[in-house]
Amino acid sequence: MKKIYIPLTLLTFALVASNCSNDFINVDPTESIAEKDLLSIYNNDEGAASFVTAIYSKNLDWNMSSFSWNGLSSMTSDDANKGSDPGDTGTDKDKCDALTLDATSLSVLDVFEANYQGINRANVALLYLPKLDQANADLKARLTGEAKFLRALMYFNLVRCYGGVPIVDHVPLPSSQADTDMTLTRNSKEEVYTFIENELLAAIAVLPEKYPTTDTGRATRGAARALLAKVYLYQKNWQGIKDQCAAITGYTLVSDYATIWREVGEDNTESIFEIRGYAGKPSQGIEGYMVSQGARGTSGWGWGFNTPTTSLSNSYEVGDVRKDATIIFAGETLWDGRIVSPKVANPMYNEKAYVSNKKETFNGGDWETTKNIRVLRYAEVLLMQAEAANESGTGDVTGPLNKVRKRAGLANTTAVGQIALRDAIRLERRHELAFEHDRWFDIVRTGQAKEVMAADGKTFVEGKNELFPLPQKFITQAAGKSAQNPGYN
Amino acid sequence: MRNLIFCLLALIVLPAYMSGQVIKGKVVDNKGIGIPGAFVVATISKTTSDTDLDGNFSITAKEGEVLKISMVGFDAVSIKATGQEMTILLKESKDTDLKEVVVIGYGTRKKSDNTGAIAQLSTTDITKTKVLNATQAIQGKAAGVQVIGTDVPGSSPSLIIRGIGTFGADRTPLYVVDGIPTKNISNINSNDIASFDVLKDASSLAIYGNQAANGVVIITTKKGKGDKATTEYDGFYGIRTPLRKVKMASANQFANYTNTAEQNSRFADNQAYNTNWFDEITSLGTYSSNNLSLSGAADKINYLFSMNYYDEKGVLDGLDFSRFTFRNNNDYKISDKFKVTQNISVSFSKSTPKPLSAFTNAYKQSPLVPVQYENGRWGAPIVGDDGQAGTTGAVFNNVGNPVAQLNYFTEEQKSLLLQGSLAAEYKIFKQLKATSRVGIEYNNWKKFSYTPNRELWLAADPTRDITKYSALEPINELVTARSDYFNWNFDNFLTFNQKFAEKHDLEVTVGMTAQETGSREELEVQGRNVPENSNYWSLNLSTSLANNVVTNHFRGNSKSLIGYFGRFQYSYLEKYLLTGTLRRDGSSQFGADYKWGNFPSFGLGWVASKEDFLKESTTINFLKVRGGWGRLGNQNVPINQQTFSSGAGLGYELGGTLYTGTSIGTFIDPSLGWEITEETSAGFDFKAFNSQLSGSFDWYNKTTTNVILSVTPPITVGTGATPAHAGEITNKGFEIALRWDNVVNDNFKYWLGGNYSNNKNEVSNIYNPLAIKQQGGSIDNGQYTKQLEVGQPIGSFYLWEVAGKDVNGNFTYYDKEGGITATPTELDRKFFGSSLPTYYYGINLGVEFHKFDFSVDGYGVGGNKVYNGKKAQRFGGENIEASVATDFWTSSNTNSPNPAPFNAVPLASTYYLESGAFFRINNITLGYTLPKFSNTINGIRVYASAINPFISQKFTGYSPELNNDGNPLGTQGIELNAYPTLSSFIIGANVKF
Repeated sequence: MKKIYIPLTLLTFALVASNCSNDFINVDPTESIAEKDLLSIYNNDEGAASFVTAIYSKNLDWNMSSFSWNGLSSMTSDDANKGSDPGDTGTDKDKCDALTLDATSLSVLDVFEANYQGINRANVALLYLPKLDQANADLKARLTGEAKFLRALMYFNLVRCYGGVPIVDHVPLPSSQADTDMTLTRNSKEEVYTFIENELLAAIAVLPEKYPTTDTGRATRGAARALLAKVYLYQKNWQGIKDQCAAITGYTLVSDYATIWREVGEDNTESIFEIRGYAGKPSQGIEGYMVSQGARGTSGWGWGFNTPTTSLSNSYEVGDVRKDATIIFAGETLWDGRIVSPKVANPMYNEKAYVSNKKETFNGGDWETTKNIRVLRYAEVLLMQAEAANESGTGDVTGPLNKVRKRAGLANTTAVGQIALRDAIRLERRHELAFEHDRWFDIVRTGQAKEVMAADGKTFVEGKNELFPLPQKFITQAAGKSAQNPGYN
Repeated sequence: MRNLIFCLLALIVLPAYMSGQVIKGKVVDNKGIGIPGAFVVATISKTTSDTDLDGNFSITAKEGEVLKISMVGFDAVSIKATGQEMTILLKESKDTDLKEVVVIGYGTRKKSDNTGAIAQLSTTDITKTKVLNATQAIQGKAAGVQVIGTDVPGSSPSLIIRGIGTFGADRTPLYVVDGIPTKNISNINSNDIASFDVLKDASSLAIYGNQAANGVVIITTKKGKGDKATTEYDGFYGIRTPLRKVKMASANQFANYTNTAEQNSRFADNQAYNTNWFDEITSLGTYSSNNLSLSGAADKINYLFSMNYYDEKGVLDGLDFSRFTFRNNNDYKISDKFKVTQNISVSFSKSTPKPLSAFTNAYKQSPLVPVQYENGRWGAPIVGDDGQAGTTGAVFNNVGNPVAQLNYFTEEQKSLLLQGSLAAEYKIFKQLKATSRVGIEYNNWKKFSYTPNRELWLAADPTRDITKYSALEPINELVTARSDYFNWNFDNFLTFNQKFAEKHDLEVTVGMTAQETGSREELEVQGRNVPENSNYWSLNLSTSLANNVVTNHFRGNSKSLIGYFGRFQYSYLEKYLLTGTLRRDGSSQFGADYKWGNFPSFGLGWVASKEDFLKESTTINFLKVRGGWGRLGNQNVPINQQTFSSGAGLGYELGGTLYTGTSIGTFIDPSLGWEITEETSAGFDFKAFNSQLSGSFDWYNKTTTNVILSVTPPITVGTGATPAHAGEITNKGFEIALRWDNVVNDNFKYWLGGNYSNNKNEVSNIYNPLAIKQQGGSIDNGQYTKQLEVGQPIGSFYLWEVAGKDVNGNFTYYDKEGGITATPTELDRKFFGSSLPTYYYGINLGVEFHKFDFSVDGYGVGGNKVYNGKKAQRFGGENIEASVATDFWTSSNTNSPNPAPFNAVPLASTYYLESGAFFRINNITLGYTLPKFSNTINGIRVYASAINPFISQKFTGYSPELNNDGNPLGTQGIELNAYPTLSSFIIGANVKF
């Protein structure tokens, strides 16, 4: 009879095993942190901050701030050509230059996709920050403000490029039809601007004017105000600009324009917001920003895209220090002693994207650009003030304008009257902010585009070229919920 | 409920204990060797017993009563019991089918009683074709089993059983090696394999539940047998060359073509160099294998030791592979009731990978570029003002120098794979056996790679001066990595077998399995500026220690599985057969409410040849009709837990400190569950004409629902592709296998076999809107070639159809209305067939004449398309094939199949799509067994083989057999960066002592 014990033992084993089996197959991931461990791992100040760090980090990506963004914001304009060798299209940069982009062009997809990837990171941060009850409440409020500032900046770039886009203001649930509709349905341009303004007003309320040096680079109240002023600029809300600019305090122009875009000029007194490349180990730079715009060919260090036009170089007044600070000319010796061969592939290159491998921190990798991109500078605040005053007919136009001119080594403006001053301010913006990703949007915003592009030998189709097409991939996904921009069907 | 079965079993077997006199004996075959497992019945006492490993039995019976002894494969005998120890001789049955046993999950089954579709391959099938991996050797030898071969040294071929039924989940079958579940058998020495059983239909597979959807291969390795030790040596040496080459344009032809394309004359028509790049990067491959084994049986142990060393020097320069395997399989008979089986397999492999893109670069690089200039610098695609290749001038394409590429690519990988299992079998009663088995698998892998950055910088431009190399750049970089994992499985099952009233034969198996696929941990470190001498490739010896960094520390997710299974197999008079299985599986891969799944199946069989109307037939010797249904799962899907991504990739500097960021890169649908495959199948097996003709026919209809595909959410969600249930795939087909065996006389026998498999693969439904029109088959030049579409097979090519040429000789295409356009839109693309074949077949023949043996195996596929990706991946200035260079469109040659010369990225069109059909002789072997000349040497056979000596193909590239990533929607069927199929000639010898 003792034989019965063997099957009984097995039987017991099977019973035990079945009770344990649910535990056995509950395996926690080790590759990355499970959502259920949010509160045990991220529920502290560092954890809270890390969600916002990820949003900032998106600005470093190739598809966000580099090649395709230059394609849309710069090569399209009369300031820049595609550059490089004639046969090297950079996928579609020839189309950027010729204003012939279509819905399948990579640049159009990249910029759209990258900004929404950044918006997702902001949405993720805004979803989890309130749940982190062990993180300092003031810190969380500030981080929320930073997230909203960054999200606003991304929507601002989207609305400038594509017009009305879907406002995705929270993390969509895959199974929710309402959320899917949200992601696939375009909002109007006005709705997007209203959304951005509310984001920035919320950010202004919680962001500090200044950070301790250990937090340099985070969005400040001044950054949110400057961006809000710029958002108003695109909507011709002159009073809004005046109010915001008046409240921006603590910034002054640096004396030497040429140093602004060098390493020594990072976080200087006129810097309001920058995208920060990091040269340490491991390096965390702006992907390909320098190398894609570096001089090409003999003695070169890059691919040679996004090159200044003769139209730009000829437009400077004599004595304007900004010309040489903005443009690398073939054959010149750069400030760090590098000799640019006269045989480089293109006559001019963008100096604002140059990183010295001798006089600046150069991590050896061309790809991770250590140079910060200046997104908002006090000079632009002054120019917005001048424009708002001139357009509204009240306020000081020439004061702020001449501050910018003086620093550039130029005498006070000779323009008199609203129309002449309007042209003077536009030209000043062109020179002061050249290659800072604004020229194209400025000429579209001010209605000059057709005329200016014609002068550059390009055809700007009114009613079409004001906006880029939405990516075909999105139109396909939307399956009728969103219409393509006019002229691109 | 499942536990109740254990109790019931316990009750059934208890009354079997009775009293009586003990009769002892031994059952032997005609060589005097004990027959284990023979069944002994005392006709009067109604007791039964069976023999142990040595053929010994003891049974409670009365002296003088008749004992009936039966054993599969032998004729049954009846003999009177005696008081002395009996010796009973069994004769081998003439009815050969009875000898055949197939391996089923957690057991074996007499082939004639089996209701499922199982293809069984023998040792000879596996070892005759001299290749590394047993799976490659069975190509063309079993119906319904498609093997896509690869000749990259050390690589594993792809095995597809009855068509592909998944998009995004794992596509490989489960291999069960001596009870150890694994996904790859490249560590298994083919010489050690005793049987290779492929479970094809769902009714056989369901017992493996959620691991079975891609089929299961059960491999049983050899055991020692016989009463004395046998030593066996088998070794061969072979040479390997590409089976086919593509003739490229000469330097002058290239100059002419490119000048025409560019409409200038910048290339001179009398080029100084004429480099054959393919020849420059390849050389004669060689391979060898040496195998030594010792096996036998002693008192209570049978044992097998084997060692094998395989060494291959690839045809691509520097791509080498070697593997050493060691195996020890022992069975210990602890007592009459208790047996312990132990298997240990150790495999060390070493490889030096090289980039296969060298083949594409060799195809594309211009022949007018020298490998090296006279000054020793590496050749680059630069044309001087004199129209000749030179060190200065204009760069005319973006193709690297493939010889320099190989020269500067240094990588070594070493891997140790340890597999072992320990099984205990305890006979609780005669009818009830308990088996408990633990299997383990441990892998340790390491690699290093060395990149001489400064040399690469110099190689990229022959005018560069070494003194100008930036001191900030690394002179060289060394990367070294380590990883390991540990997997285990623990199986326990009971097998009950009883024959009632000599009519009802019942076998019941119940059990459970627990498995863990352990976390793979990997650590990778990188440094720069180590000494050039490879002896000192250590990061400690770097002259730039501050640059030593950990670049990756990864701890993979582990995976666990628990399964309960039960099976009953019933046979009535060995005529009517019924099998039913149920498996219940829980898997860690799924969310809380989706972990458990049930996988039932049944099978029915009717052995018609046992019926009266066929019993006496001399034409039909055996006929069995069978059919079944089953449900299977696929758990090899991405884990469905929402996780955060974090780390340096999301990092950002603030205030001088680099912080890591955290976000969610992919949202996981918490309701993600199994992929479920259901299959209905039917078939018959027969033997006819004195069993000289044997064969089988199978039909199946398999549908996989809940198919998981990685879908990209709307762009505005801003996250990456995520796995989601997307659709349904069907595979329908039939298989025929036939074989004619004829023994003419003692000195002459021959056999001829063939099999044919037909499979229709179709994406029958896509219900996830995000999965619609998913593109694939990118050839890395901005062009894609495939798209997912309902009603088409997976992996269908979706291209523009070439209509003709315009007045300039450029292609025109059909638009969707049937008109002709030079600039077609997306909507004008059409489907042109898939990379999946619709049929494949094998032909095998063999002759044994006196001491000679000769065999030929052929294999073919058809109905599939291949895309000439290397030809289509054109940017400008690349080389062209000779056939294009000598015949292209000109105003005086408008009928040429090739367009006017062009230097631009071509559209993905039917011009590059070719038939993938081929028929290849896989193996021809001639062997000679030497007459016996020594008492110590039991036999010597010498042989010579030709592997892949001939192929008939329509494809103009190197090889139409293009598995690549194995993904029909990926690069499968696209020749780009592909290793050519090789032709091998070997000589070898087998010696037994």
